[in-house]
Amino acid sequence: MLTAGAVILALAFAGLYSVGVLGLLSESWTTAHWRYVLFESGVWSALGFSLALTLVTLGLATVAALATVLIVDMRVRRGPFAVLVYAPLAVPGIVAALLSYQILGDAGLLSRMAHAVGWIRSPAEFPALVFDRLGVGIILTHFAMITPFFVILFDRLFENERVAELRQLAYTLGATRMQALSRVVLPLLLVRALPVCAVYGVVLMGAFEVPLLIGARYPTMISVEIYSRFASYDLTARPQAYAMATLYLLLVLAAWSVALRWRPRPAQTPR
Amino acid sequence: MVSGVAVASAAGANAAVIRAGSTSLLCVLIAVPLVLLLLLSVTRHWSYPGLWPDALQWSQWRVMLSGDRGLLDALVSSLLIAVIVAVGATTAGFLTSQRIAGHRRRGVLLMLALLPFAISPVVLGVTLNYGFIRLQLAASLWGVILAQFLFAYAYAVLLLSGFWNTRIAALSELAESIGADRFQIWWRVRLPLAAGLLGVSLFQTFLISWFDFALARLIGAGRVQTLPLLVFDYFGSGDFRLAAACGVLLVGLPLAAVLLNRRLLAWPLTAASSRV
Repeated sequence: MLTAGAVILALAFAGLYSVGVLGLLSESWTTAHWRYVLFESGVWSALGFSLALTLVTLGLATVAALATVLIVDMRVRRGPFAVLVYAPLAVPGIVAALLSYQILGDAGLLSRMAHAVGWIRSPAEFPALVFDRLGVGIILTHFAMITPFFVILFDRLFENERVAELRQLAYTLGATRMQALSRVVLPLLLVRALPVCAVYGVVLMGAFEVPLLIGARYPTMISVEIYSRFASYDLTARPQAYAMATLYLLLVLAAWSVALRWRPRPAQTPR
Repeated sequence: MVSGVAVASAAGANAAVIRAGSTSLLCVLIAVPLVLLLLLSVTRHWSYPGLWPDALQWSQWRVMLSGDRGLLDALVSSLLIAVIVAVGATTAGFLTSQRIAGHRRRGVLLMLALLPFAISPVVLGVTLNYGFIRLQLAASLWGVILAQFLFAYAYAVLLLSGFWNTRIAALSELAESIGADRFQIWWRVRLPLAAGLLGVSLFQTFLISWFDFALARLIGAGRVQTLPLLVFDYFGSGDFRLAAACGVLLVGLPLAAVLLNRRLLAWPLTAASSRV
């Protein structure tokens, strides 16, 4: 297969480069770059930071999308919202980052609104929402980008799984609103949406444009960490980028192979 | 009894008001960033703490469209790359998905096809860079096309694999039984039936290329200029008006297509919700 072959080729190139077998400045086989990456570089904090931001973003987007589908209900499918909900899907990450800077920055739209209502007197008083060490700007931008996707997904699931009818049946059998929500609606929607959420999680882990443009210098997400070493003026740092990329590739391949083994099996029909 | 009905109808009215209010708020939240992007692209001066620009002007659009800023070059190369990637990936993806659909290890093959998505464009771009340099594909248009093709092709295979069901197989067998050869089965039976889905695949693979930043930057190495790279360059140099103008061009085309035909983006979601 072409795509799997390209990934294996990429892994081979990166692995050989990281141990000094390939590369313009390589002299001989060495494990120095791997030792640096594993014990001294910021690769583990970058991986942890990426994972944390991914989980927070996915969690917030799931809650917001579920709330939207449950509150707005049928309006997801008609009226202006039915059209507008697709609009964010046509915005690429690079433009989303530009807009986030213009909205969340210390001289951005929110800061101007806060000034207009008298909450702040200068841009310096506005809390740092971009280039911040907690990654708030990155989370909010990714949240705005993926929540409409989740709204459409949950709405389709709501319809295809006949959740409204099942909820009504639960009411008829004496369930309260909270019981119908927690025991019928949420389990049905969340279980069915899990594979798509997992794929989105992997995509968010490797996000690049948004953290590159509005993320802090430290901590950074793993893609930015790899890229900054790769694009560094110091060419001796390039094998470290390849070692990090190899490590990331191996981790993802391991997760992917686990996902391959753990594919949901079709439900058994009772005899 | 009457008061019970009145309470129920008041609760219903409250719920309707909450629904209408929430919907309006969400519409505003979605529309504001898009309006801001458009506004920034025609802003002359916007001083703090003004909520509205001090002055508007069209000159950045005139400057950009005159070709002085290399925007036309970037627009043309973005379009060229995206069209080649979309047509190539959809054609190859259609043929590959048919072979995968008939394979007994269909699920495993699909997971392998999707592998590039798991790795992220920037990591694959960095790791494949050495190979592209050796093959003299780095810093070239064809190098960027090939790199983007890997992702677009993987997506097309996944998207189009949903087409090959028992009905298509039965119709192909029927055509064969009345004397159609392989070419006629593809041309007269499968292609017309898949036309709608192929359109969705063309649009979505076009978007994968149109929106790509990481591969164009890493493999293009500054020699291949595309619209996302221009947005990044203007952003980095602090010229947000020109960045916004490029952003409008970047968003305008897919936005217009999606608003005219939501199916172009909704189809994979509908498929995912019924298949998962």
